[in-house]
This record gives sequence, structure tokens and C-alpha cells, in this order.
Amino acid sequence: MLREEELKTFVEGTTNYFEVAAQQPATIGSPYLMEGAPAVHDYTGVISISGKREGVVYFTAPRAMLTVLLMKMQENDFSHETMRDLVGEVANTISGNARRDFGRDFVISVPSVLAGEKPAVSQKPGQRSFIIPINWRSHSAKLIVSLT
Amino acid sequence: MNVAGADRNRRLITAGAGTALALVMGLALLAGFRLATQIRSSITALQTASELQTYPSVLTQQLTALRQRLETREYTGQAHEELAGTVARFNSDIRRLTKRSDGQSPQLQDAARMWQAYRPVLAPILAFSGEPYIDTDSGSSLSDGGKMYYGDVRQAQLLAKQNVGRLHRLLTAVTDSLEEQTSGAAARLRELLSGGVLAALVLAAAALYLQLTRARHERVAREAQEQTRDILKTVREGFFLLDADYRIGTVWSEALTHIFGRSDFAGLSFEKLLEDRVPPGTLATAVKYIKLLWGDRAHENLMKSINPLGQLEISMDNGRGGKETRYLQFDFHRVVGPKGGVKHVLCSVGDITSNVLLAKELQEAQENANAQVDMMVGMLHVDPLQLGSFLDTTETGLRLINAILKEPARTDAEFRKKLGGLFRELHSIKGEASALNLMSIAHRVHHLEDTVGELKKKAELSGNDFLPMVLKLDELLAHLRGVREMATRLTALKPGAGSTAEPAAAPSRPTGAHTVRRSGEDLSPILQALAEKLAKDHRKSFRLSLSGLADVPAAYLATVKDCVIQMLRNSAVHGIEPSEARRVQAKADVGAVRVDFRRSSEGYELMFEDDGAGISPQLLKDAAVRKNIITAAEAASMDTRTAMALVFRPGFSTQDEVTMDAGRGVGMDVVARTVYGLGGKIGVSTNPGRFTRFKIVLPPAGEARSGERADRMSGPQGLPPGMASGVA
Repeated sequence: MLREEELKTFVEGTTNYFEVAAQQPATIGSPYLMEGAPAVHDYTGVISISGKREGVVYFTAPRAMLTVLLMKMQENDFSHETMRDLVGEVANTISGNARRDFGRDFVISVPSVLAGEKPAVSQKPGQRSFIIPINWRSHSAKLIVSLT
Repeated sequence: MNVAGADRNRRLITAGAGTALALVMGLALLAGFRLATQIRSSITALQTASELQTYPSVLTQQLTALRQRLETREYTGQAHEELAGTVARFNSDIRRLTKRSDGQSPQLQDAARMWQAYRPVLAPILAFSGEPYIDTDSGSSLSDGGKMYYGDVRQAQLLAKQNVGRLHRLLTAVTDSLEEQTSGAAARLRELLSGGVLAALVLAAAALYLQLTRARHERVAREAQEQTRDILKTVREGFFLLDADYRIGTVWSEALTHIFGRSDFAGLSFEKLLEDRVPPGTLATAVKYIKLLWGDRAHENLMKSINPLGQLEISMDNGRGGKETRYLQFDFHRVVGPKGGVKHVLCSVGDITSNVLLAKELQEAQENANAQVDMMVGMLHVDPLQLGSFLDTTETGLRLINAILKEPARTDAEFRKKLGGLFRELHSIKGEASALNLMSIAHRVHHLEDTVGELKKKAELSGNDFLPMVLKLDELLAHLRGVREMATRLTALKPGAGSTAEPAAAPSRPTGAHTVRRSGEDLSPILQALAEKLAKDHRKSFRLSLSGLADVPAAYLATVKDCVIQMLRNSAVHGIEPSEARRVQAKADVGAVRVDFRRSSEGYELMFEDDGAGISPQLLKDAAVRKNIITAAEAASMDTRTAMALVFRPGFSTQDEVTMDAGRGVGMDVVARTVYGLGGKIGVSTNPGRFTRFKIVLPPAGEARSGERADRMSGPQGLPPGMASGVA
């Protein structure tokens, strides 16, 4: 069953990205249980996990937040593709952090990105689903962890 | 004898034998040198003596020849010269012989003396230097000097002729003696050389033997070293020795490198080994324990039993830049030296992470199995409809908790605001679970309350702090789902499933609680069961009288149940005294708790009364000061009515220790807010030492305010309106 340390690994992976990429740390809001299908923002990075734990981890962020993040990163290109790349990069950092902490016990997929679509989240038996708000400046994104 | 002792003895024997043989060889060589010198001297003397031996006859012949030449008037010059040479060599040789340290043989002495007798006779002959002849008409004739010369020669020739035999024999004897000496010395030299060769052979043999022995020992030592190395390389435990300064020695097993992820152990202190990997308190205890091991009087088995490092949780680098928790087992054995003192401490370290995790999993599985059995037993005592209602209410409560968590929060104040609502909701769920004796749920909620309590104590709250809570909340929801599933199965198994008339089984009655009368059809069994449990848990004896509960309108059932449960717990913990204390106060051994519900002019009235210790306003004020709810100055100026109202303050409890039934200070707060939320009133009156009475007035059911649950979460922090209190 998903443990606190494992959940923290995903959270730290996300907040670290903001600290490194934008030199401005993100904080987390009050975590809560996912009930039903989660409301996602404009862009969503998805990591599939198998092995010791089974499930998915999403990082979903609104366009406004990503735009400010790109500006902080001295980027001038705010196109759809750049947004997708940025969310993919955050998901990739989360994935790297998980690989570092969990090693071979976890098989972590290459991140995929959804834009404007709802991810097909179906809670399987024994899966625990948590939503952790990621607050950065005045914006808020979500980290959704749904693992056995 | 140990290996080191045998090795030392072998080295001593080798050194002793080597020295002895070297001494023998040295002495033999010295003696041989002396003998060789002696032989060389003897041979020289022998040569001299051999030559000397010939001189008497040569001298006699030369004197005879000189006499004949004088008589025949021949030339004498050469004969004279030869005689002088012979005499000179005779003198020289005999002097050389007599000067030798071993040359004082009697024969040589006699020969020397005899030669001395020749000297005066020969001296005038050798001294003659003139012409022995004079020429005359009749031919040559001896001159006067020649005549004297001839006379001397004739005398000397006669002396030589007379002594030649004896002198020759004496000199022959000297030669023989010298020959004998030389032969003896040569024989001794041979013996000595033989001895020397023998000694050299012995020395060589000894050296060979020692070399072979040494080679054998070296081979054994090398094999032993290889075996030790193989053991240290293969063994799965980390082994090392600690010296008197608690430092690691120069040898350790390879597993130690894998366990600690480093290889620079030589000279490393034990403290440094564990530093940054265990909490400072654990490290200090470990170091103290190691020091104790060096005490001569410490009993090893006893020491083993108090080993604080039997299962040590440490944080390690996982090799990928992250950290992981490992469990190590340290074992210590004292190595005693030859003189009896502790020489080293042998430490073995094993990585028991998989064992510990397996044991934990087994324990969790066991606990889950026990909890399921307990839960099933508990559920058998509960009416299925009551259980279903409880599960619905609880799930709703937990969803409310999730809703509280879901409220956006960024600041400490926003996070902190959630805690009060969480506390009240959890407390309410726990009360109902305890009342239904569903302890696995009650304990889980209690742990969640603990988590909330810990958060309250934190100086600064953030979202990270809520992660453990949300995990526990999820666990609790999963558990509730399990209970619901089990309840469904049990209901299906029961004859007449779905009936609300009878609970699944009659509860066994603890000795402490006694029932006088049951009037409520729905609430009474739960409350009676809770009373029995509370009496048992708190070792109190009281009887619960219930009346009018059957008339509780459906809209107030949950409220009345929650309120009575909370007040019942308060009575069991704070109100009813132990039987001994009641006896001293001339009270009945068995306490009385009365609950009365009835219609009134204002709607409904719920009266709860116990004949326990009552409430002391002063004790309330003291507890409130202790818990920083009010200041000492506020307490001093507080009147009795306001002091009594403290029982309804959030976070107030007279108990310092938190238990399942009291201590968090949320119970009466919840009751008051619920009543207020419904538009009702609550009052408390008491007589210290005599009774405590709570009176709750509820409006007619149709007029009750809605949103009862929401009011639990977010009411004002002060005393709600409609609350009355007093001391009788």
C-alpha cells in the first residue's frame, strides 16, 4: 500500500522543479482524497507506474501558471507546444525523482502529455488516490497520485 | 599454546641454535688458525733442524780438508771461506731454534751447549787472516802464523771428529722431536677441520630444517590468512574489532563495506561510523553501551540482553542519490587477552531489513486479522440497521473531513483553521464507534485525532504536515468499506436478515454497570452497551437509567445519541467516583446516571444527571490556565457562572493525558455546538461532591435549524448563546 515516504517523493519531485527551474519554490496546499474523476487543468503530464506499485501520477496545471513559469525561465515562446513540453518536463522531473528513490522496484513510463483532454482515471481496487495542490505564486496546480 | 606463542618459541630456538653453531664454528676456525700457525712454525724449525743436523759432519769434513791443505801446502782460502760460512749458518740456525717458545728441548740445550764448546776452538781459525805459507828454497813451508793456524785447525778437527757423532745424534733427536710436534699439530688440525666440517654440516642441516619449518609455518600462516580472507570476503555479516579507544581495527569483512557504503574503516571511531545515520539520542546510548563492554566486571550475557543496537534503524544512501531506511543488528563479543583483560570487542553487523519488514508485514497482517475478528465480534452485538446507520453517518463524517481538507489553504492560519473542525468531526465518529463497541474504527479515529493533536502543537503548519492525515483518512475509509462488506455478509447469514427487532447477540454484562430500566427501543441498547464498556474500562460502578428515549423524534436521534454518549463518557471519566471514594463520602457504592427525554413547552428537554463528584469551578479554572485557554489573571476575576461555561470551550479538558474517552477537550464543545446549531439551549448545574446535571432544550422537531454537521465544523469560538451554567 502506498506509503507516506513514497507520496513525499512525488511531491518533492514537483516542488523541486519549481525551485530549480524558476528559482522560486512551490509549496503544497492541503492534500485530500480524490472522489470521482478529478478536475484537471489545461495541461496534464501523465506517468504510468508498474512494478511494486500500480497506477498513475498526474501533474496538471493551468495555462496561466505555465505562462508565468515560462516567463520566469526567460522563455518568449508561449505556444501550445511549449506548454506541452513544459508540463512534460515537470512530469519527467517527478519521474526522475521517483526512479532515484524507488530504484528497480518501480517501473516508470516515459511521461505523456494531455492538453485540454480529461485523462481516463479509473480507480482500481486497492488503489489510493490523493490530490495535492501545488501552489506557486498566486497560481495553483495539482499533483494527483493514484497508486496501489 | 596459541599460534603466536608457537611462533615466538620457534624464533627463539632458531636464534639459539644459530648462535651456538656460529660460536662453535668461530672457535674451530680460531683454533685451526692457531694450529696452522704452530704447524708453519714447526715446519720452519724442522727445516732448520734438518739442515743443522748435517752441519757437524760438514764441519768435520771442512776442518779435515783445511788440515790436509795446510799439510800439503795447498791453497786454503776457499776451504777457510766455506768453514766460516758453515759456522755462521750453524750459529744462526741454532740461535733461531733456541729462540722458539717450544724450542727448549733438552737435546737442543745439549746441542747448543756442545756448540758453545766449539766456539773458542773455532774462533782463532776464523780470525786468521794472514798468509799461512812462506816460500823457501826448498819449497813452501808454514809461516809462524801458519803454524799456529794449522795447530788451531788440527785441534778443532780433533774436537769436531770427537763430537761429531754425539752432536749429530742430539740434532737428530731435535729434528725427530720437531717432526713429532708437527705431526701432532697436523693431526689436531685435521681433527679440528673434521669437527668444523661436521659443525658446518650440522649448521647447514639446522638451517635447512629451520628453513623448511619456517616455510611450512609460512605456508600454514598463508593458508590461514587466505582462509580468513575468504571468510571475511564471503560472510554476510560485517565483522570488525574495536580497540580500547573504540576505534575499528585494520581488518574487517567485505560485507561491512556493502552495509555502510564506505571502505575507510581503519581507525574510524564507532561514533563516527553511526554519526549522521541514527538520531543523536540513539548514538549516545550506543556509545555508552560500547564503553560498558570494556568494563571487566560487566557480564557478557547481561550486556547482550541490554544491547540497544539489536535492531537499529538507520538512514542510508541508496546509491542513486536518495536515502533509504535500513535495519541493522549489532552484536558484541569481548575478546579477552592472555592476561585476562578485555583486549578487543568483536562487533558483528547484520542487515536485517528484509526480516524486520517481513516481521512488520506479519504483525500488520496479524493485527488486521485480529482487528477483523474483533470487528466481527463487535458487529455481532450490533443491530444491522444501527450498524448501517453508523456506517452511513461515519462515511458522511469522513467526507466532511475530506471537504475540510479540500478547502484551499496557503497560510498557517488557513491550515490551522481546519484543525478544530477535523477534531470535532473525528470525536463525534469515535464516540459513536465506541458506543457500538466497534473498537477497530474507534482506534483508527483515535490515531487520526492524535495526528491532528500533533499538528496543533506545531509552530508553523504547511500542506506537507497534512500528508500523514490524508493517508490515515484513506485507510479509515478503506476500513469502513471492509466493515460494510462484512456487515453485508453477516446480515445475509443471519436468520430473518434485515429485522431491526433484536441485536445479533446479547452482550455479556460486565459487573460494573447495572441497568434499572430500558425505555428507548433504538438508543437504549447502544447507550447501555457503552455504559458497560465505560464502567469496565474505567473501573467504575454505576447504573444507567434511561427514560423517554423511545420518544426521541427521528430528526433528533443522532443529536441526542451524540450528546448522551459524550456526557456519559464525561461521567465515567470525571464524574462517578470509584466505589471506595464514594463509600468514604457516605454515598452508595454504585453510582447513578440518569437520562430523561421528554416533551416540554419549548419543544423537547433532555436531562442528563450523575451523582458523582460534580464540577469544581476552581478546578475548571486551574485546568484552563494550565492549558493556556485563559490567563491566571482572567481566572482570578472569573465568576462561577463563566467558569462553569469553560466546559463548553474548544480544547478544554481537566485531564492532561489523552485517552480514548477524554482529554482532548472537544466533547462538550461538540455537544454545545450541535445543540446551538439546532436552535436549542444547554445548561449545566452542579453541586461539588453531589451531582452534575446537564439540561438540553431542543425546539420542536419541525423548527430545528438545518445544517447540523456544518455547525459542528464552523461555529463561533466563544460561548454559544442559549447556554446557561451554574453551581447549586
